[in-house]
Amino acid sequence: MIGKSEVMTTLRMMQEENLDVRTVTMGINLNDCRRDDIAETARAIKEKIAQRCGRLVAVCDDLNVEYGLQIVNKRLAVSPVSILLEGRQKEDALEIAKALDSAAESVGIDLIGGFSALVHKGMTPAERMLIESLPEVLSSTQRVCASVNVGTTKAGMNVDAINLVSKAILDIAEATSDNSGFGAAKIVVFANIPEDSPFMAGAYLGAGEPECVINVGVSGPGVVARAVERLKLENPDCTLDDIAEEVKHTAFRVTRAGELIGREVAKRLSVVFGVVDLSLAPTPRVGDSVGEIYQAMGIKRLGAPGTTAAVALLNDAVKKGGAFASSSVGGLSGAFIPVMEDHALSAAVENGDLTIEKLEAMTAVCSVGLDMILMPGDIRPELISGIIMDEAAIGIINRKTTAVRIIPVPGGKVGDKVDFGGLFGSGTIVQVNCPGGAEEFVRRGGRIPAPLQSLGN
Amino acid sequence: MVSDRPGIMRGITSAITDMGANIDDISQTVVEGYFSVILTATFDSECEPKAIEAAIESNFGVGELSIIVQACSEMAKPAPVVDGEVYMMIVVGDDKPGILKKTTGFLADRSINIEDWASCFDGGSVSYIGKITVPRGVDVRQLQIDLKRELIDLGMNASIRHENIFRATNEVGPIKSLLR
Repeated sequence: MIGKSEVMTTLRMMQEENLDVRTVTMGINLNDCRRDDIAETARAIKEKIAQRCGRLVAVCDDLNVEYGLQIVNKRLAVSPVSILLEGRQKEDALEIAKALDSAAESVGIDLIGGFSALVHKGMTPAERMLIESLPEVLSSTQRVCASVNVGTTKAGMNVDAINLVSKAILDIAEATSDNSGFGAAKIVVFANIPEDSPFMAGAYLGAGEPECVINVGVSGPGVVARAVERLKLENPDCTLDDIAEEVKHTAFRVTRAGELIGREVAKRLSVVFGVVDLSLAPTPRVGDSVGEIYQAMGIKRLGAPGTTAAVALLNDAVKKGGAFASSSVGGLSGAFIPVMEDHALSAAVENGDLTIEKLEAMTAVCSVGLDMILMPGDIRPELISGIIMDEAAIGIINRKTTAVRIIPVPGGKVGDKVDFGGLFGSGTIVQVNCPGGAEEFVRRGGRIPAPLQSLGN
Repeated sequence: MVSDRPGIMRGITSAITDMGANIDDISQTVVEGYFSVILTATFDSECEPKAIEAAIESNFGVGELSIIVQACSEMAKPAPVVDGEVYMMIVVGDDKPGILKKTTGFLADRSINIEDWASCFDGGSVSYIGKITVPRGVDVRQLQIDLKRELIDLGMNASIRHENIFRATNEVGPIKSLLR
């Protein structure tokens, strides 16, 4: 039998430290749903999602009972919708989005990703149309999430696409002004977007993925924070390498639990198992915060010098533990810092300790990027473009994923508070330190060429 | 059974080996300072249980150990193993009389076989950890509800979870090997 202390350790993680599976996300290829008639296409989408995903929630609920491990979110990620839109009209985009929304609702899924366009080297007419349709799509649907990839290390950065999507983000916010611009929380702008991430709003099914696949996002940060706190209780003088070791061991257990659930779901649904995404994804609940991990390490004021190093330590230790635990690691796999979804980060932003500039620095050593940040509604599109370009540059040069999810709040001013409720959380509107002055650079458009891959210093 | 001290296993195994036997299987534990072991051995020639007992006792002090030797052929055959899934049952709460009687009765009433059982005491509280086989077709959701209800009067918190979650989070082998 497994040792008594091992049994009790796992039980404690499940009962007291929020060990769970953050998301089980089914990826579905919808490219074969294309028909000549858009209504027929919509019908085919609904039928395929119902057929493939109809039992996903029930299977997850069964496993929850058998293992005593909560599966927090069950989600869907589809192949890029831009492909279905080639040769079609703008109103067709809304028709497909509504079909996705309805299909997700019918199978009990709260968010469906993949209303996406990959435009890092250029845009097709359909991809341009998809971006332009986002204000109407994201204000007319409940569950649909969008993503746009504007740069890769191999292709460089498409600034024309960034300028287009920046304008779209402002229009999305305006179209959802009755809910403080919430629509903008459902679009992520990426550089080096992963094809297999299970996390919303950026999940989609990449071109290299199977017909249908199960990807899993591991447990949230509560388990890791509690492990660090317990280590400090046992050894108040523990060093940073002691903390790294503890995080690594915890990540190992968390990852293994995630892979077990993912493989079980895949087996019971007779689909392929894809990856475990090691990302620590917080929720607004106290005890489920990435910021609390940094505080447990000794960063009492998030944003103080040393915070970026703490992020690097955490991110690296999680990857090391996870990579040993499973050969099926993928997705984003790092520590998220979504400000609104993390009460400790949100408080640090509110009191001015944590600025957008410091968050940007932190994104250089973790996944993913400037995430869930509220900004004034009257910001210029060039400012959004500049933020996206800076963040994309960090990802492209460092051969990693970065992303931006900022929410301009119509009518909102710096210091105003906004509460989206649920997993999207609440926060305070903030502004960058220098909000103007780069307009000429941004408006030039074109592309920033792919970076040199040698002379790496 | 014997009060624990170094050299007990040598005293037992050397006596058996010197009689020309091979030890086939063995399981040993220490409970509250008392060493106990159960083992099976195959002897080349006919051997009286009393002779084996005497040989082992000769390696210990007078009255130091309690021993029973029995021919396997004289014992009742083990019942067929329950076909089902292996779960871990954990019962936690303040120690008091009656917990084990109620818990094991609950399992027996449902033909759930106990494969292994252990306890941990911490001050006045106790944790019982049981490895159990739940027969196929049993509704695990209902089982969990019924178990909680059964033990609530004793103030015990009980849960049943599939063994694989404990193996996955504590073992190093591939997860695929846990799935049938």
